[in-house]
Amino acid sequence: MQDTQPIHDLTQLDHTRYKSWPFNQDICLTCALCASACPASGIDALDPRSLVRQVGYGLEDALVAERWPWICTMCAKCEHVCPMDIQIADMVRNLRGLRDRQNVPGILQQGLEAALETGNNLRLPQEDFVFIVEDVGEELAEEAGFENFKVALDKDGANLLTTIHNKLVNTHTEDLKHFWKIFHAAGESWTLPTDNWEGTNWGYFTGDDEAMKTMVGRIVANLDKLNITHLLLPE
Amino acid sequence: MDNSKKNVTIIGGGVAGLTTAIELSQYSFQVDVIEKSPFLGGHGIQYACKATDRCVKCGACVVEEKLKTAAALSSIRLHTESQIEKITQSKTYSVSLLKRPAFINPTKCTNCGICFQRCPADAINRGFSTGNQPLFAISKNKCLYFKDGSCTLCASKCPEDAITLTAAETTESFNSDAIVLATGFQPYNPEKKPYGYHRFVNVITNLELEQMLRRHSVAQRPSDGQAPGKIAFIQCVGSRDAKLNHLWCSKVCCGSALRMARLIRSRQPEIEISFFYIDVQSFGKNFEAFYREAQNEIEMIRSIPADIYPAEDDSLRAIYYDSSTRQSHEPIFDLVILSIGMLPNPDNSQHTEMFGLKSDPFGFWSYESSSALTNGKGVFTVGAANGPMSIAETVIQAEQTAWQVYNDLVIESNNAP
Repeated sequence: MQDTQPIHDLTQLDHTRYKSWPFNQDICLTCALCASACPASGIDALDPRSLVRQVGYGLEDALVAERWPWICTMCAKCEHVCPMDIQIADMVRNLRGLRDRQNVPGILQQGLEAALETGNNLRLPQEDFVFIVEDVGEELAEEAGFENFKVALDKDGANLLTTIHNKLVNTHTEDLKHFWKIFHAAGESWTLPTDNWEGTNWGYFTGDDEAMKTMVGRIVANLDKLNITHLLLPE
Repeated sequence: MDNSKKNVTIIGGGVAGLTTAIELSQYSFQVDVIEKSPFLGGHGIQYACKATDRCVKCGACVVEEKLKTAAALSSIRLHTESQIEKITQSKTYSVSLLKRPAFINPTKCTNCGICFQRCPADAINRGFSTGNQPLFAISKNKCLYFKDGSCTLCASKCPEDAITLTAAETTESFNSDAIVLATGFQPYNPEKKPYGYHRFVNVITNLELEQMLRRHSVAQRPSDGQAPGKIAFIQCVGSRDAKLNHLWCSKVCCGSALRMARLIRSRQPEIEISFFYIDVQSFGKNFEAFYREAQNEIEMIRSIPADIYPAEDDSLRAIYYDSSTRQSHEPIFDLVILSIGMLPNPDNSQHTEMFGLKSDPFGFWSYESSSALTNGKGVFTVGAANGPMSIAETVIQAEQTAWQVYNDLVIESNNAP
């Protein structure tokens, strides 16, 4: 056996700890179909079966420190094959939520804080945003077949409200045109809001329910304000 | 004891029905066994003897023995290719049978097999035991005579003149004092599981492996008939599965799969076997010793593969996560065996309603208890229709059921005021 050290602090053992979580984790048969199906299993020894069992055992310190929930892409192939219908991807999201926010990996927390303060992950001022999208719109209007194209900003009563991933107004501005070309060709009535246009919800990814609700609430407020019933969330 | 004027109808001619019939005939009852397929013995008659250097008590020979015993008893009438048209109850049960045409006359047929060999349309099926008379049956769906009248080769080649393709459907009615439901189980169809069943020719079920070992004695790849180099067994396919609402363990597959694995190793020791399992459900006092021996010659892997991909030469790549190395592995196998779950017979619900029986939420009549059931009005249930069970358990339950029928029809009625 390669493991000579105890893996977990057993004083943490408390099977009632996550009893209220609605993911069926307590009926795991330990069949390992989740681990066999997972495209990321083995990365840093990631073992979804072990993760589900640790939740069942309530090993909180290990789960909070564990990198596995952050390696997982939440693709949910594990859930698809699980014979006991355990909601493993949702469970992983809850595990992410257990970490102190300052220990959230990478730029996720920084971006989320920016979004909560300014409406987007980049802290991009409104006038810069408007300048960028109008500039890209003018470029598109120079292409054959799109001569009449105009970016529809804050259009009351449009059929479709669109949000965007922040990289589309940062490093990938060309990609805005793909959506817009389709809208133009289809004669779609669409619009882009000039504030709270961010479609990337890092509250969702980091397991921060409050932040996630705030971000979603802003999109809903835009729908109400502009009297729009359909939403396109290309994230 | 003269019960010879009393009749019992048994629905289902597998090991449960046949054993109950034999036991009832010991109590001198007249018995009618109704079997919808052309062959008696149910699933069990298709199983291989799994003895290696000694008997491993799989029970396969018991089914053979019960079939031969039942066929030889004059108090038992065996109706194959028959179904219940109607059952009504007044004082006794009145049973009407619809019998599909007997194209092959069982008294004339000598089981020579010429019809089976000569049929150009693969329309003649061969049974699993010579205890079944006749051993062959004509499938109307495939037969050219029933398609367009273009072929009567079997009838003209039969040296005994035993084949009559113009034979008609018949009906038969009789009264019965009790009904025994021995409708058995339905095997799970694993086509929707991620193992490519019916897509990759070398992925088969444990029941198909039983048939292969019975017929050929050794393991062969269906693709080329060659001996496989490596075999994988995957357990619990369609059992213990909340998504399918199959919450039960099918109970017999760990034991039978390990017995088959050891049988293969004893006859073809060059074959390597991997056994993918959740936990081995072992029953019987000898099983632990048997299991310890099995672990010496079979690679036991406590993980269920989640994907099978086709590999070169019709072999198969299975993907599984190994907790001991904390890595995914992708070994190649020549043959993959899926141990499929035992499901309630789909006919159960109709009988449950007709006779006012109680079934569990899954459709078995008695999953919780292994004792035989009755509706208190002369209808009894027995065998795997009550929940997954081994051949040995089925025989014991059939003996109990026969006693219960006797108790109901003779002792209770004698005691009645």
